[in-house]
Amino acid sequence: MIAPVHILSGFIVGLLFGFVLQRGRFCMNSAFRDILVLKDYTLLKAVVIALIVEMIGFHAMATIGIIHLNPKPLFWGANIIGGFLFGVGMVLAGGCASGTSYRVGEGMVGSMVALLGYGAFAIVTSSGLFKPFKDFLQKSTLVKIPTDINMYAESARTNPTLATITNVNPWIWVGIITIIAIVVLAWKGRGSEEVEKPKSLYERIFKQGWGWLSTGIAVGIVGIIAFPASAAAGRNYPLGITGGWARLFKYFITGDPNLISWEVLEVVGLVVGAFIAAYIAGEAKLRAPDAKRLIQQFIGGALMGVGAVTNFGCNIGHVLSGVPQLALSSLLGGFFIVLGCWFAAYLMFMR
Amino acid sequence: MSSDIKPTATLDVRGEICPYPDVKTKKKLKSMKPGEILEVIVDYPLSVERIPRTVEKMGHELLKIVKVGESEWKLYIKVKG
Repeated sequence: MIAPVHILSGFIVGLLFGFVLQRGRFCMNSAFRDILVLKDYTLLKAVVIALIVEMIGFHAMATIGIIHLNPKPLFWGANIIGGFLFGVGMVLAGGCASGTSYRVGEGMVGSMVALLGYGAFAIVTSSGLFKPFKDFLQKSTLVKIPTDINMYAESARTNPTLATITNVNPWIWVGIITIIAIVVLAWKGRGSEEVEKPKSLYERIFKQGWGWLSTGIAVGIVGIIAFPASAAAGRNYPLGITGGWARLFKYFITGDPNLISWEVLEVVGLVVGAFIAAYIAGEAKLRAPDAKRLIQQFIGGALMGVGAVTNFGCNIGHVLSGVPQLALSSLLGGFFIVLGCWFAAYLMFMR
Repeated sequence: MSSDIKPTATLDVRGEICPYPDVKTKKKLKSMKPGEILEVIVDYPLSVERIPRTVEKMGHELLKIVKVGESEWKLYIKVKG
């Protein structure tokens, strides 16, 4: 059992995360899909900023010894197939793992239905009917890097990062990626932070949706706080979503209190935080689409559950938490989440 | 306030999920004539911020956004031309 103080920290980080997600409308499904369908780059810019802030924060904390980086294992087949299924699923569900979760707090019934499919099929894949499929994919395509363990990570053989595979100090990669991102944003993103009428600080925080820069920085800071807080509770990883929901659902089924983890408290806090943010802004209301759309969202959620467990991470575990650690598994898994998203979005909205 | 705007057509996308409010608005605008005014009733906060960006990129004019209730807005868009 983990100590109550650690459980509390999961809930508080979740509250912050949910509040920030709702205010910034931070959803990677929207971010990736909008590039293609609406030619809108606003949320993508928020995602890039969040990743840069986290990448610098994680590596700074690792360098001074507050945390140990914990990149996920690379199994290329599982990352590719799981990522693609997840990407298709989130388009059908109308939200990624974080988007679906914060919209539950806003009162969107369709996202609640998607979450049921998501949680159920995460369990089906992690310990049920689809477990052999997932195990086979992960075991048969696990990549072992045929080099000696180098100085930058103990887990370099099966959990490679850009830094360990090139055997350079990770700060070199952090620097290169940060510079490229800032140059591209300064060139392409100039002048598009919403020009806001002068309003009170209260209104800008609690009533209006946030601009992409504030959103990206806020999400990044929550991710940085999450890493040591979660590690102190025995889960050495930053923000996650899928594991939290899967364990919560499994707890409901089995009643086993050991399933209540930091991540479970984080997702519960997320929904509460999103509800508080939406309620203050006058955006909380129970609302539902028609029956056909609800079924579409359930199927989407189910595909997300299968995909996330196979890929060993959703868009939060891989893209938001793994990419800033420079994990190859997360870069590959994240890339196929984007491809799956574009594939489904093209079929559904562009023909 | 909104009474001085006479919409030619109304599109109700309440309850719809991301990104249907935006996609349906785009489609509806394409079927309308220059100068006509579309009223969109929407309850999804992200679309309330994104629809104005999208329609202005298409060259249409956003006349007004009115918050009519808890998580419910009316957008008035004038077709370009």
